[in-house]
Amino acid sequence: MEFKLKISLLIFSVILFIITTVVLKKERIPIKYSLLWYFSAVIILLVSIFPTALELFQNFFGFEALSNLIIGIFISILLFLTMSLTIIISGQNKKIILLIQEVSALKSKLEERDKK
Amino acid sequence: MKVLLIVPAYNEEKTILKTYKDIIKYNEHKKEKYDVIVINDGSKDSTKEIIEKNNIPHINLIHNLGIGGAVQTGYKYAYENNYDIAIQLDADGQHDVKYVKDIIKPIITDNCDLVIGSRYIDKNASEFKSTKARQYGIKIISFIMKLVTKNKIYDTTSGFRACNRKVIKKFSSDYPTEYPEPITTTELLKQGYSIKEVPVSMKERAGGKSSIRSWKNFYYMINVCLSILMISIRRYKDGV
Repeated sequence: MEFKLKISLLIFSVILFIITTVVLKKERIPIKYSLLWYFSAVIILLVSIFPTALELFQNFFGFEALSNLIIGIFISILLFLTMSLTIIISGQNKKIILLIQEVSALKSKLEERDKK
Repeated sequence: MKVLLIVPAYNEEKTILKTYKDIIKYNEHKKEKYDVIVINDGSKDSTKEIIEKNNIPHINLIHNLGIGGAVQTGYKYAYENNYDIAIQLDADGQHDVKYVKDIIKPIITDNCDLVIGSRYIDKNASEFKSTKARQYGIKIISFIMKLVTKNKIYDTTSGFRACNRKVIKKFSSDYPTEYPEPITTTELLKQGYSIKEVPVSMKERAGGKSSIRSWKNFYYMINVCLSILMISIRRYKDGV
């Protein structure tokens, strides 16, 4: 792997790591969601440190250039992250519906009582 | 037998009062009276004011949830207030309260779990049969449901449905927000509940818009078909 690419990936991984830590420190996200991002940072870090393993993969998956494989890995990580987000959002959607229903029922009941 | 009519209403200012008055008028001559709960699904027009001014029993959802979420609120109300039968009756004037007794009859006499008021089971029964395209769509859904459950349901998207307490309990804990009718019918069939269709006549909606909007039809079909196929590969723990 080209030295420049290696360094770029390394720096990128460190930046991702720092951003995640800062966001976590400010309590913008809970620990459980930060793991997702740390995991991504670690993968990128591994890629930059052990490019030889990557070259094996490159042949195995039939990528012509190593940089293409790296882009492929990035896209995979992104897809994984978006899928996780979709799952999280769907769960929250269910909870919001439940909340709206329960609060509305309660509110209507209270108003009914106030009238009497 | 305590019977509850669940009336979901989203922007139905033109028809909601008539729908309610029809029910009250119907109740006047009957020994067994139906209770009503209108679920105002965060309407943007004056539905809320009309409901409150006329003392119609209601729940105002603090935010629009869509037809599934609104009807589910009704099932929750039915469950908490110990109703034996809950039946959905649309506020737009499509469903006629005089058919309610036909729809709930199989639940009382034959121990049915869910009864669907169907436009297509008796060819001459209904004056209003919806557009050709929509009829075709309903046929496709019906076909896929037959593949998955081995049961033929003719009017797969009819909202005019009644269910017993067992199903009320199930619906109040789990009811899809979108396209609830075909999905829940398939689920119930798959889990071994007994479902019956009875012929009813529906009128063309007097006001308001269908929750199945025309430009969304294609999207609707794909969603419903996919949902039904998903149910076929899902496993259910709590069969009956």
